Amino acid sequence: MSGLTRREFLKLSTATLVAGGLTLAGLNRVAWAAPEAQVGTFIDLTRCDGCRAWPLPRCVAACREENFRKFPQPVANIPLNWPLNTKEDWSDKKDLTTRLTPYNWIFVQHVRVEDGGQAVDVFIPRRCMHCDNPPCANLCPFAAQYKTPEGPVLINHNLCLGGAKCRDVCPWGIPQRQAGVGLYMKIAPGYLGGGVMYKCDLCYHRVKNGKTPACVEACPRGAMIFGPKDRVLDEAMTRAREINGHLYGARENGGTSTFYVAPVPFEKIHNQLMAQKARQSNPKMPGFPGMPVNVGNFLDGVNGLVAGMLVAPVAGAVAAGWAAYKTMTGGKRDEA
Amino acid sequence: MKRKVVRHSGTVRLIHWAVALSTIMLIFTGFGQMPMYKRYGIAKLPGLGWSGDFHITLYLHYLAGMVLAFALVYHLVFHGLRREFGLLPRRGDLKGSYLFIKAIFGLGPEPPADKFLPEQRLAYAFIGGNLILVGVTGLIKVLKNLPGVDFPVGFLLWVTNLHTLSAILLVLGIGAHLAAFAFPANRPLLESMFTGKVALDYARSRHPLWYRKLFPSPLPDTEEPRNPEG
Repeated sequence: MSGLTRREFLKLSTATLVAGGLTLAGLNRVAWAAPEAQVGTFIDLTRCDGCRAWPLPRCVAACREENFRKFPQPVANIPLNWPLNTKEDWSDKKDLTTRLTPYNWIFVQHVRVEDGGQAVDVFIPRRCMHCDNPPCANLCPFAAQYKTPEGPVLINHNLCLGGAKCRDVCPWGIPQRQAGVGLYMKIAPGYLGGGVMYKCDLCYHRVKNGKTPACVEACPRGAMIFGPKDRVLDEAMTRAREINGHLYGARENGGTSTFYVAPVPFEKIHNQLMAQKARQSNPKMPGFPGMPVNVGNFLDGVNGLVAGMLVAPVAGAVAAGWAAYKTMTGGKRDEA
Repeated sequence: MKRKVVRHSGTVRLIHWAVALSTIMLIFTGFGQMPMYKRYGIAKLPGLGWSGDFHITLYLHYLAGMVLAFALVYHLVFHGLRREFGLLPRRGDLKGSYLFIKAIFGLGPEPPADKFLPEQRLAYAFIGGNLILVGVTGLIKVLKNLPGVDFPVGFLLWVTNLHTLSAILLVLGIGAHLAAFAFPANRPLLESMFTGKVALDYARSRHPLWYRKLFPSPLPDTEEPRNPEG
């Protein structure tokens, strides 16, 4: 029992018992078996305690263990990107678990929020929300990101050039870049591209085989519930009503497949997260997302132009037909 | 006064410039989606700060796409209805282009040409074909961005790569199109794309087949040209 106090041992044992019980009871999954259905996750923040009894939250540890084969293996001498002379290299921070990195696809934030005269601790597992209409995938100029029929949004690590546009258009800045790896190293390293983007893929290799993501399976408190998206959302809404709480993820970015329920307003959580970020040594460093409430989708603006886009060719045909008729009946020739 | 003949009608000029300007905007904003303007410092150039903002460049890309879609369909329908196919490639255009390019460098005479030179017909097909390809793939990409529209990833890969490829080929085609004006023999056409007219002498010397269609009987020196639109 080296390194563990009697108190920690008791906490660990209790938590393990609870986790085992919940897993056996199947509370962390909702009759999930059909790979063709859209999947979703309900993260109950009233249950998550950030695994304070463990040295590392179990969801984080499980994710790293499950996905380490997918993590980047960059070259030793990573070229600087011309002409900025910068690079994003996390390879010497592989053990960093307090933010999203190419080597850490989920982490747990902790805020203390004043609500109703009480200080409430909230622990928030953060990873890709797997949006309904993901701007990261839609706007990837090389189609290196895509949404699967089951819902998880994936990055093709063999095709991604690491332009990081996906991170710029994501309301949470989720994908993280690792330099010195991927296709750009075979084309013009340093002059084109900048690496490969990495993020949670919801353990797609497990999901498509009817299994739950590793983080969900590992949660010792049953704070994550995974299953068909509609049913998971129902559970989240029911839970929010039960505790007179708040729901996040159903409307944000036009809808996602990750639903958080918290006992305090997400506006307050977001404000606390932003305050924490501002206090960090480098507040501009990516990988520490806020929780902006009702944040819009990057594509909302241009999607409002689609009617015009579809009408334009029809209008062109009508106008040309009219003009051709006028000139032909007027006896004019107008050769191209 | 130098006598002139109408070569490009108002409609043709309007559509040409609508296609040209919208395509230039589409190419600029399209490359901005790569993303590259922040990376390569373009967004730091005076007046180009907006080029590093995806919101702005994507919005402009859509707006220019609308103009291009209108102009492309207008062009196809207008000239299709009027049965005007003079710019479509013909048998022998490859050889004809070779002879014309040779002649530009002083190696032999120019073959007699109709209203359009062989290489103009080939350039039209190349640029037009790529415009249609970039337009159709662009429209699919627009649909893909809508909520609830999900295409298979394999299909999207093809669409995306064809969109990028056709855009790059367009840049090359437009570059060649503009490079043609480095040769003095082609410059009267540049003026015509603004004024609509070329000198009668130019038409007679470089496009004798067209000239003969316009003026089947010899034109007295003192008579004004009887161009249908003149």
